[in-house]
Amino acid sequence: MDIFSNLILGLSVAISPINLAYLFIGVMLGMFVGIIPGFGPAAGIAILLPITFGMDPTGAVIMLSAIYYGSMYGGTITSILLNTPGDSATVASTFDGYPLAQQGRAGPALVMQAVASFFGGTVGVILITVLAPLFAQVTRSFGPPEFFLLVMMGLMTLIVMIGGNWRYGAISALIGFALGTVGVDLETGQSRFTFQSAEMIGGIDFIPIAIGLFGLGELYYAFYNGLHLSGSGGIVQYQKEKRFWPELRDFVETKFSMLRGAVLGFCIGVIPGAGATIASLMSYSVEKSISKTPERFGKGAMEGLVGPEAANNAASSGAMVPLLSLGIPGSASTAVLLAAFLMWGLTPGPLLMAQKPEFAWGLIASMYLGNVALLGLNIFAIPLFVQMIKVPYRILGPAVILICTIGTYSVNGSIIETWLMFAAGLVGFFMKLYGYSPAALVLALVLGPLAEQSLRQTLTISRGSFGIFLERPTSLWILGVTAAVLAAGLLLRRGRREED
Amino acid sequence: MTSNNFKRNFFLRGGAVLSALLTVAVLASAPASAEDKYPSKRLDWTIAFGPGGGNDIMSRTLISILEKYKLYPENIVAENRPGGSGAKGWGYLFAQKGNPYHISSTSGSFITTPLQANTPWQPTSFTPIALLASDDLVILVNGKSKIKTLREFIDQAKIKPPSIGGIGTVNVDFIVPKMLSERAGFKFDYVSFNKQGELTTALLSSALDASMSNPGEVLGLLQSGDLRALGYSGKKTPAALGNIPTFAEAGYDLGISMPRGLVLPPDVPKEAQDWWIATIKKVVQTPEWKAYIDKQLLTENVLYGEDFRAFLQKTQGAFADILKKSGAIK
Repeated sequence: MDIFSNLILGLSVAISPINLAYLFIGVMLGMFVGIIPGFGPAAGIAILLPITFGMDPTGAVIMLSAIYYGSMYGGTITSILLNTPGDSATVASTFDGYPLAQQGRAGPALVMQAVASFFGGTVGVILITVLAPLFAQVTRSFGPPEFFLLVMMGLMTLIVMIGGNWRYGAISALIGFALGTVGVDLETGQSRFTFQSAEMIGGIDFIPIAIGLFGLGELYYAFYNGLHLSGSGGIVQYQKEKRFWPELRDFVETKFSMLRGAVLGFCIGVIPGAGATIASLMSYSVEKSISKTPERFGKGAMEGLVGPEAANNAASSGAMVPLLSLGIPGSASTAVLLAAFLMWGLTPGPLLMAQKPEFAWGLIASMYLGNVALLGLNIFAIPLFVQMIKVPYRILGPAVILICTIGTYSVNGSIIETWLMFAAGLVGFFMKLYGYSPAALVLALVLGPLAEQSLRQTLTISRGSFGIFLERPTSLWILGVTAAVLAAGLLLRRGRREED
Repeated sequence: MTSNNFKRNFFLRGGAVLSALLTVAVLASAPASAEDKYPSKRLDWTIAFGPGGGNDIMSRTLISILEKYKLYPENIVAENRPGGSGAKGWGYLFAQKGNPYHISSTSGSFITTPLQANTPWQPTSFTPIALLASDDLVILVNGKSKIKTLREFIDQAKIKPPSIGGIGTVNVDFIVPKMLSERAGFKFDYVSFNKQGELTTALLSSALDASMSNPGEVLGLLQSGDLRALGYSGKKTPAALGNIPTFAEAGYDLGISMPRGLVLPPDVPKEAQDWWIATIKKVVQTPEWKAYIDKQLLTENVLYGEDFRAFLQKTQGAFADILKKSGAIK
């Protein structure tokens, strides 16, 4: 009953008019921040941070957190309509979301992503409410060895994602790994491939690459096909938008995808450093690998959209667990929130929830309300966004280039990254033209550096011995799960062959 | 706009530019006494990092104190100019050579970035105002560890080299334990992390034997007993950390820390530097500044003018020595 009394305390805090107002401002801003490509929640929170210093901490954190999970809703809109991910966590949503829009199902895709986001977000908050202490234990047991194994699980999904032409897929992934080696070598501090440029010390950011590969690459491809000459049309290539609302079977067929995405996303979200991007990419490959019809993926499979969407929203809730229960930030956005906690004079840590229950539970309760508000907001806003696909390509095209450019520049204010984005656009065009896999490139770029870093950390700690993976209980668990997944995959495949 | 209009505007603008140039020329040739009234113009405050970080928070705290006590008579405009670990923002300030209406706050990267990359500036290139505080580090072990004191840690380390985690390599997180180990005579394996969250988790999971952290970021875990602090690298241990010794008290005076200070562009008039030194002397007396130091668990460490430049020189020299020895820089 403790949870209920806490939750009621939280609700009584969250439902005060001023806090509700902050909540609505937060979710609106979050949607907005999510929609602008490149401009992610971390930047949005950081920019608003200074104006919250005079505010009551509870109201302020309700607003800033709402920006964080709200952005997970907004980011998908441009993924589906323009093939341009709004932020890194919604890259996976382009894989099947954009094909759905091309088939004239943009409306249902957007509604389903809103529902999946709501479902993921809400499952995430329920899990925080009920099981936060348990998941905090998971966070506590995750050192470099466990993190490396998790990243390896993520890399295995490359096999699933590459699909069709494995040689082209492997080349795409290798380009991604190569790009990931740029920057300061974390272990020795040596600069690698930076050409003495200070801008390259931090390595190649994933955002300009993803925006260029997917957004611009798709656009160039459309120009190549002469879509801008066709006058009418827009994104949906000569196809009429069929119907706005999803059909009942869309819900029935994807209910387990949502649930899997939500639980997977939450579990990955609680691990510092993993986060919503990895969660959504892994959810995509889980959906594809257990699907009976994997060949539909990448061509507009609704499961391939709702799984990752539920996952990235649940992951953003999951990232709140280490923040609230241990004072550990798991992502860039929660790191900014942590800085905010300190400014308000709160000490994030295991004692925070006990010492300031109205603060912690007020925030948790507000997340339930915020997700409801976001669902409503999305359903209202979607008809508006769907109009976008009716805009002729010759008008939409330049607008997309503009959005991509501003979005990339706004992340770090870097001209070099903006050029990088244009270069990635050209690469993306040729990859699409010749059937290479931009998705594999992006996944390798995200996971490659993480794998390298965590393996080297592990081996430094163990002084070169791989035995460390078998000595730690949590890493044994992960090894076990990985083996089980692999075995299940093989069995499934054999079963399918026998059916054929 | 018609073409006629355009022409007129063009000439007007040309005239304006010309007269502005003339004014500048006159001003430049005028004796220094014309600038006695510093400050009389808007101040451009460069923050070389994004909003929300330690550098940003210190700058905005200083600006709000300057405004509250009306210490600066004109407007102050704060501008985040992030990129390249500070290379961009401080590069911008460096380009404002001689202009006393630009200012910037410094942090650790002020020393380390020029060591790593080909920047046109060095920390000593700028006109120093003051070192205000330093970010010092606390050495931590897991709360379940058998090691209770710095002494025990060092004795144990001499028997079995521990793994010590920190953020980055070209960073004080690596340099402080490296100097400590050389003084105390033990070896260790340094494990480098990108983010505080991953580092803290690794220590909590007992993967690491110890870690170096800024105390403010782990205070909650120290209070709950999940982590234990053994020693502090600054001049005086903050009260919130309890009764632990500084490294100097334990017999290892490293004299190294990350400078949080203020600088003007190179070659600004002496009057401007003096004005700022006098002003900062007032700022550090305000209760708002004391509250900032307390909340962030910084060590108050004030040095003015040339003393600050000497401090930068000494710190960078020590960093470069260690990093060259370890092969991180050439």
